[in-house]
Amino acid sequence: MAPILEVRSAVKRFGGVAAVNRVSLALEKGRIYGLIGPNGSGKTTLFNCITGVDHVDEGLILLNGRRVDRLKPHQIFHLGVGRTFQVIRVFPELTALENLLVVTTAGYAEARRRAEELLARVKLERLAGEFAGNLSYGQQKLVEFIRVLMTDPDLILLDEPAAGVNRTLLNDLLDAVRALRDQGKTVLLVEHDMKVVMGLCETVFVLDHGEKLAEGAPGVIQADERVIEAYFGR
Amino acid sequence: MKRALPVALGLLAVALALYPLEATGYGLRVGLQLFMWIALAQSWNLISGLTGYVSFGHVVFFGTGAYTASLLVNAGMPWPLACLSGGGAGALLALIIGWPCLRLKGPYFAIAMLGLNEVMRVIVSYAEGLTGGGNGLSLPTLDASRSIYYAMGLVAAAVTAVTYAIVTSRFGLRLMTIREDEVAAEAMGIDTLRYKIYAFMLSAIGPGIVGGLSARDQGYIEPISVFPLIMTITMIVMALFGGKGTIWGPVLGAVVLFIFQEAVWARFVYLHQLLFGAIIVAVVLLMPRGILGVLQQKYNLPRTI
Amino acid sequence: MSVLITPAMVGQVVISGLLAGSIYALVALGLGLIFGVMRVLNVAHGPLMMLGAYTTFWLFQRFGLNPYLSVLVSMPLLFLIGVALQRFLVRRVVDAPELSSLLLTFGLSIALVNLAQLAFTSDLRSVEYLTGSFVVGPFAFSKPRLAACAFAVTITAGSFLFLRGTRLGKAIRAVSQSREVAQVCGIDVQRIHLLTFGLGSALAAAGGSLVAVMVAIQPEMGQIYTFKSFLVIVLGGAGNYPGALLGGLLLGLVEQLSSLFLTAQVNEAVAYVLLVLVLLIRPTGLLKGRV
Repeated sequence: MAPILEVRSAVKRFGGVAAVNRVSLALEKGRIYGLIGPNGSGKTTLFNCITGVDHVDEGLILLNGRRVDRLKPHQIFHLGVGRTFQVIRVFPELTALENLLVVTTAGYAEARRRAEELLARVKLERLAGEFAGNLSYGQQKLVEFIRVLMTDPDLILLDEPAAGVNRTLLNDLLDAVRALRDQGKTVLLVEHDMKVVMGLCETVFVLDHGEKLAEGAPGVIQADERVIEAYFGR
Repeated sequence: MKRALPVALGLLAVALALYPLEATGYGLRVGLQLFMWIALAQSWNLISGLTGYVSFGHVVFFGTGAYTASLLVNAGMPWPLACLSGGGAGALLALIIGWPCLRLKGPYFAIAMLGLNEVMRVIVSYAEGLTGGGNGLSLPTLDASRSIYYAMGLVAAAVTAVTYAIVTSRFGLRLMTIREDEVAAEAMGIDTLRYKIYAFMLSAIGPGIVGGLSARDQGYIEPISVFPLIMTITMIVMALFGGKGTIWGPVLGAVVLFIFQEAVWARFVYLHQLLFGAIIVAVVLLMPRGILGVLQQKYNLPRTI
Repeated sequence: MSVLITPAMVGQVVISGLLAGSIYALVALGLGLIFGVMRVLNVAHGPLMMLGAYTTFWLFQRFGLNPYLSVLVSMPLLFLIGVALQRFLVRRVVDAPELSSLLLTFGLSIALVNLAQLAFTSDLRSVEYLTGSFVVGPFAFSKPRLAACAFAVTITAGSFLFLRGTRLGKAIRAVSQSREVAQVCGIDVQRIHLLTFGLGSALAAAGGSLVAVMVAIQPEMGQIYTFKSFLVIVLGGAGNYPGALLGGLLLGLVEQLSSLFLTAQVNEAVAYVLLVLVLLIRPTGLLKGRV
């Protein structure tokens, strides 16, 4: 079965530094993947390249076999890719509901119905008319998460979904991610919280200094000496 | 409260419509100019207030509309149609400029717009055969102040109505996301370039039409009279002061500062411009959202204010 | 009317271009520093240059001070003014959305120009000091342009030595690369901002003093330099300080070269066309810059 996402020898440089250096990976449909690595290892840069916010200097990115590395972010979005950001990027002067409505091109009535349904699913329906900038951190995080779901993307990229989130909310989020996987979606998440990664992801990629260090099941990665060295050693 | 507003507006509209019957020539001109400024400030608001892309050269559309309409009038076209064409010319120019310049981030767009004034003046002077160059263009004499008063009023009302329609629509929301966080907007599937161009074109129609109307009213135009920097400055001050990004803010700003302008400008040009500059600085530092914006925040007013 | 273009003419034009470009580079460096360090587009840069020119004029008028010496006065004076502007006005919008600093400096530029109108009137002023040219073979070097270029090069070189060699200069470069990292390294970012705005203003003033001998001085003289300085920054790449130098020289060259083919009026639009071209084709600048 063809991978939904393929990154082939991607290189991204900033000035003289290669933030992403010959990274290759492939994601199969309907699985949850993790992307870990020490700070500055290139994880968010890789995310940015996949979603078109940035462009690779060398290498290819293929979505369902189709090259996307030269496309603009909104074009990639419409090909069925959704993402959240490391630093929450809701639109502060739009209400929670408007944040969701803005994203989809569906008719107003249908968009509104879906938005209210998603808000209810994360128990935020009473905050629908509240400006997103006034919401709490956790609430904004939820809004950003369900915003991704508005257009029912096939590939979902989550940038540190667990950051700054309390236990209950975190469990809800993790359950939601598993539910997405069960629906056949593919999820790739960047995460620092090892417990989350180990408990949730089926395959983990490890980046260090822009290079892919290791790839495999969580248990295998955890025991890999190079990974341990990258995080604690040197 | 909700019922009072439309009634009040209706009464105001009637009053404004009856005004010319009683007004002197001077009074008519004042009213006509006030409408013009409302249309201009409101139009500037459409691009700069909603998308956050500051247009420092917006007077370019006014001048283009003025010249287009004047040339058409001189060619025999009735002036209402000529002025509408001026609006069309403005939109076309916005498309031509916007397509390359709006794909850049805010500061770079601002730079491009800054230089635009210079270019337009050069072009107009250069195309002397067509535009009369530095000697200017004259139109056939016509006393149509009253009609132009109504026309200006219609444009002012129309631009405000369009602003209302946009702000309450998803199109408007998408424009605002560009202001809030353009990167996130792109990532969320919004083709920001396309939306920016639409907004820019819409913001150029008003100035284009009133440029034509103003030319018709004056009966004579020359490059410096229709591409003055002070016009851009005034548009900006009015929209900023009243509240950029709101619907009625530019109207409020236009009214207040127009009165101020009538009092000060005629006699103290430089002082007046200095004060405008100072007001811009003060507004940015002290109330960046303008008067209505501040009220909006404080009393949690809806966005339709 | 076609004119035969000889190699001598081209050579002359190249020389004129480089001479003019050195001034552009000087003024643009000031703007580039402010933009690089604070991400603020100083729309008031031209008016600051204008104030430098007026300083030179009044010192020449009242005290007969050699215009080239007056640079020693106009630079510190505008440095202080720049620091004050930063401290009381610009500082408040450094972290605000870019829209705010654009509008602020725009308002400031209007205020400064009109203050000058009120204080100095819009009468054209001039400083009659150096006129004529050196003639070497087929080439003529305009004396004031040559002198201006010499001083511009000196000041610019001095600025680069400062940026490369001194601790303060390195701190400025550090902040312009990454404010957070610089802070973590113990650099007082606020102080750097003050210094940079002052330095940028001083460089603009130097440019103003140098052109005071060559052009008509009036309150609006700086506006076109604001735009051209932006253009130079775009050409050389934002945040790329050596790039500003090359960009300035390039602009000077392009303008002079195109004057061979275009009328004086149309030539004014050359800078603008160049900007649009660069923004479309290579917005990060001809050299590498940070957008």
